[in-house]
Order: sequence, then C-alpha cells, then structure tokens
Amino acid sequence: MPRYAMVVDLDRCMGCRACMEACKVENNTPTAAFWMYVFRFEEGEYPNTYIWFMPRPCMHCDNPPCAKVCPVGARYKREDGLVATDWDRCIGCRYCEVACPYGVNYFNWKEPVRNYYLDWGERDVRRVTNGQTPPYRNPDLDRPYGEEKRRVAGGGRLKGVVEKCTFCVQRVEEGLQPACVANCPAFALHFGDLEDPQSSVSQVLGRKHSWRLLEELGTEPRVYYVGAHPAHPESRQIEEVKARV
Amino acid sequence: MSVQVQRLPYGVGRFQVGFWLFILVLLSVVGWGIYAYSRQLVEGLVVTGLRDIGTMGGAAWGLYIAFDVYFVGVSFAGITMAALIRLLRLEELRPVSRMAELLTIVALVLAAFSVLPDLGQPVRGIVNLLRYARPQSPFFGTFTLVISGYLFASLVYFYLDGRRDAALLARIPSPLQGFYRLWAAGYRDTPAERERHHRAAFWLAIAIVPLLVTAHSTLGFVFGIQSGRPGWFSTLQAPAFVVMAGVSGIGLLLVIAAVFRHVLGERERLHEAIFRWLGGLLALLVLVYLYFTVAELLTTTYTGHETEVRLTLALLTGPYAWLFWVSMGALVLGLVALLLPYVPSVVPVRVPSFRPAFTRAAGLAAAGAGLLLMIHRHGPRLAPAAGAGPEPEWVGWVLAGLAVVFVLSWFPLFARSVVAAGVAGGLLVNVAAVGKRLLIVVPSQTHGTLLPYGPGSYTPTWVEYSVVAGLFALGTLLYTLFVKVFPIMEVAEEQ
Repeated sequence: MPRYAMVVDLDRCMGCRACMEACKVENNTPTAAFWMYVFRFEEGEYPNTYIWFMPRPCMHCDNPPCAKVCPVGARYKREDGLVATDWDRCIGCRYCEVACPYGVNYFNWKEPVRNYYLDWGERDVRRVTNGQTPPYRNPDLDRPYGEEKRRVAGGGRLKGVVEKCTFCVQRVEEGLQPACVANCPAFALHFGDLEDPQSSVSQVLGRKHSWRLLEELGTEPRVYYVGAHPAHPESRQIEEVKARV
Repeated sequence: MSVQVQRLPYGVGRFQVGFWLFILVLLSVVGWGIYAYSRQLVEGLVVTGLRDIGTMGGAAWGLYIAFDVYFVGVSFAGITMAALIRLLRLEELRPVSRMAELLTIVALVLAAFSVLPDLGQPVRGIVNLLRYARPQSPFFGTFTLVISGYLFASLVYFYLDGRRDAALLARIPSPLQGFYRLWAAGYRDTPAERERHHRAAFWLAIAIVPLLVTAHSTLGFVFGIQSGRPGWFSTLQAPAFVVMAGVSGIGLLLVIAAVFRHVLGERERLHEAIFRWLGGLLALLVLVYLYFTVAELLTTTYTGHETEVRLTLALLTGPYAWLFWVSMGALVLGLVALLLPYVPSVVPVRVPSFRPAFTRAAGLAAAGAGLLLMIHRHGPRLAPAAGAGPEPEWVGWVLAGLAVVFVLSWFPLFARSVVAAGVAGGLLVNVAAVGKRLLIVVPSQTHGTLLPYGPGSYTPTWVEYSVVAGLFALGTLLYTLFVKVFPIMEVAEEQ
C-alpha cells in the first residue's frame, strides 16, 4: 500500500498561483472555494522587505482532526493516507470545518451549478456560447474510489455538503500527478509515495530539511515543506483573499 | 381521600380572548420563522451570514449553534429541581417542580430544532446520524445523552410526576376528562400507589442526576477538545458549560415562576421562599462562572501565546468588546440584584436617589437610542466589516452608563422584593448567557485561525434572526398550550 505525500519546495515557488487555477479546472470548484490556496506573504520593514509564497492544499493529516469529529464518518482516512469526503453521507454540519486548524474545508453554501464564475444564462454569455451550457463538471469525480469504494469530494455537486482537496484522487488512481503538481511551472510541488525510495518526494525529503505546518498540534500532516520557514505573526498577507459566495 | 376539586385549577381549560390573541401572535412569529427557514431550504445556507473559515474569512457556526447551546443549557432547570426536591427533600420547592420539568422538555425540543437549520442536509442529518453514528465524535454525546437520554428521562419523570393530578382531575367532568384518564392510566392515588410512585420518582431522580453533569459536559467537549481553535481548547470548557447551563436554566425558571405567580395570582403557593432559594442558587452559580472567566482570561493572556492573546484582545478591546462587556455587565448586575434582598436592613443601601420616574425614563430613552444607533451604525452586526470607519467610543460608553443607571434605579425595589430581584437577575443572566454562547462559538472562528488568514467577520442575516425568533415563539407556544390543558403546579389538597 503506497503512502502518498506532497512536498512543497518554497525555494522554488514563485507565487504564480497556477496550481490554484489547475485545481479549479480539474475539480470545477465553485466561486470562492480554493481547495488549493497560495499565501503571498511580505515580511520586514521597507526597504528591507522580503516576499515569499506558501501553497496550502489539504494537509491530509495522519491524525486528522476533521475525520475524528465527523458524526457520521463522511470524512474518512483512506488506506493510502488520503483524507476524503463522502458527499453521499455528509450531513453538512461543518464540524470538520471548525475542527480543522488549516482552514481547508469549503461548504457548498448554495447549489454549485448556480455558483460558478460565469452565469451561463446571462444574455451576453449566451450570445457567445450559442445558448449551450458547457458540461462544467468533471464526470470522473462522480465515481467511487479506493479500496473502500467510497465517494470523494467534488462528485455529486450538492448544496449543503463540505468539500475539500482530494489530492486529485481521480488522477492519482490512474497513475497521474494531482493537477496542481502537474501544472506547476517551477516544479515547486512534488507528489508521490513515501514508501518508494525512488519517488521524487522521498528524494527531496532525503536531501533537504523539511517541516510541516502546525506540527505542534500533533495532526501529522502528509504535506511537507522544504525551504523558507513556517509562516509566523510577522508574515503579512500581501492581499487577503476575502472572496465570498 | 379528602381532595375535593370542583373545577379545573390554575386556569386549565379556560380560554379567553386574550389567550387566543397571544396564541395568534405566537403562531404568526412561528410562521415567519418557518418562512425564513423555507428560504434557506430553497437557496441553501447562503442566505445566512455563515461562511467558510479561512480564505472566506467567515464563521461556519453562528447563531444556530449558539442558541442550540443556549437551549440545552436552559434544560438544566428540570433535573436540578428533581434532584433538589427528591434527593434533598426540599419540599417547599415542589410548586415549581412541574414548571421546571416542562421548561426542560420544551428547551430540549427547541435545541433539537435549532440544530436542524444548521445542517446543510437536514433530512440526511436525521437518517445518517442513526445509520452511521460514530461514538468518537463529540456530537455523539449531544445526540445520545442530551437529546435522547435527557429528553426521554425528563418525559418519563414528567409523566410520573403528573399522574396524581391527572387522576384527581379525571374525576371532574370536563372536555379534557378523557385526556386525564389516559394520563392517569389506572392510577387512583391510594397510599400504596403513592408510596410506589415516590419510590420510582426517587430512583429516577438518582438515575438522571449524573446526566446533569455529563449531558452539559458533552456540549462543552464539542468545543473544548479542538486543539486547532484557540479559545475553545480548554479544560475549563466542559465545567463552564455545566455552570452556565445552570445560570440560564435557573434564571429562566425564576422568570417563569414569577410570571405564574402574577398571572395565576398564586402568591401563597409560589411563596417568597422559593424565589429566595432559587435566587441564592443562581447567585452562587454566577459567582462560580465569574471565577471561571477570570481564571480563563488569566490563563490565556499570561504566557502570551500569540494566537490566544490575539483572540482574547478581540474579545476585550476588539470587534467583540461590546458583546463581551455587555455580557459581563449583565452577569455582574444580575448578581448584585440577586444579592440585594440578602443585605440586612440595618446596612443602609445607598442607591443614588434620583427621582425613580426620571431615571427610568432616561434609562429607557438611552437603551432605545443605543439600539437605534447600533442598528444605524453597523446594522445588526456582530463584528463590524473591515472597512467600517472608527466608532466614537464615548457614545457607547455613555449609553452603557445610562443603562447601568437605569438598572440601578430599580435597586430599592429589588432590596424590598425578592421576587422582583429574581426576575431582574434571571433576565440579566439570560442576556449574559446568550452573549457568552455567541462569544464562545463565533470569535474562535473569525479571529482564531492558526494560519495567517487575517481576521474574519460574521453578521447574522434576517433568516437567522427569524428562525431563532420562531424557535422562541414555538417554545412559548408549547409551554402556553400545555399550561391550558394541564395544571402547571401540583393540585393542592383542599380540605
């Protein structure tokens, strides 16, 4: 059984947010939901300032606070370490969301089809699309996955359930990299099997000093960071994204 | 048996115009709440002020959860009375026993109903909680111990407690005779039956007293064991929930007892000793809670853990300061009001002697102006949006000062009447209880993120306010209707 992990090389990340875009395209997440999010930080005082970037996917913790508190077991930890959400079981209580210290959960506050960036019914849009609504949805997400044969977030697209990063399980099970990793132009993101010494994650972790976010909470994240340092109180976000539904 | 009751006591079965008007008002509020909830069912929770924690800078739990916690807290009253009366043999408290039990049952029904609107998938909520229940989730205790166990035990206790009266009332010809006969279920109030009944109620009281601690603790653990939320993660959370439950439950019971004392004109049965007893108990619980608050504030600020300090500052001086200080002020004023009747008359209570009519008018004007100003300034916001301009602080403080003067002007009355003091204390501590529930639930989400997302905000919308108002109206409706079909106090044995 593989042990999947992600390594984020902060020395390479240039904050282009291509991963956020790739995630949106692959998983068709609704407006203001960022399964992958890139912090853009500024530190120091002018003129001695320093800018750096920190991608934040779901940490896929080995001791996931979200899965612990789920009253119905909709949030579950897969054998291979991925933390997934069964949209067919979720009751929408959002306990996972308040329990998560990383803020990676996104609730479908309204019907996702009515919450995309473009209103396909609008007159100007219809003129371009000729009245056709594109299938803005990835059918792969609707299938059950893993040994558990269970649903993963992004399928169904119901309102009133919680969704979050799946490490693109629909791609991983076909031997592909998650969309964010595959589309990073700077090779800052690595994804692979920790059990395999030849995998890029094992290689990078073997060479460089790594750290994890909020390690002191004991959540055992599966996302490792190399380079830079954990964000601290002096890390100011350059632009706070407060996009709301 | 020397009981001779000619007609149904305590206004049971007598429906006047005023009663129907009251019911009509309540029904329309309930209807409005249902309409608001229907909007939410159709549109999704987007019609509420709730949003995702993190990049959306919102709170995922808000008014609904806060009031769920509040309603569960109110249910504290019934079991406490059962314990005090049955186990400590405080027979003088008997007249409020049924009021308290009914309060517990109604409050638990409301608690269950206030969780439902919080769920994104309410139907699944009911089905899946039974199908896939996980004991590892802190919610499990809420649904088993609190909603099921507590409610069921209270219903059984309530039923047994009312059987004697049902048997007595079944002898009087009335349209409700069949109902009473059903309730009495063969009970005839013979000495042997009464003895058996007392024994059953005694053991039932013993069995449900542990629920007093466990049920209210489970709700505290929902928050207290989340290490990822500063302000929640605290050993004190569960004990503080138990104590605050007592504060709100006993407080509301005092108010209800006073209402029945007035409406039914039962000054003899609902005598002052009851109010003295409950007021003293309430004052004690408030003192314990204030002590917990001090301990909590000292723990979070002394070491200077960055995220804890940020959250505490948001409470003390930040966007939640007004709610925090209003709650603490209400708690302290309530405590003082409750203690006033105990001040021996030899100690001269010097209250600033304004003309009472003048101060009351000034206080009411101040409260009204303050409310209008607050609504005008930021709408019914809990936390002002980031772009809101600076507030002239002194306006708020002047208004708060006037409000304090207003409460103070009633103090001579509280010193004279233990009932008035109980009502004022009960109302004030319930204001504080709602405030503290909100302060527990919301700030840790908007200002307690461990990654540097920046502060968020939460503004309840009309839908949330309407649903909560509808729940209160539903509770009052259930209570009122019950009072009209069954005596709210034990039927007195008249010679």
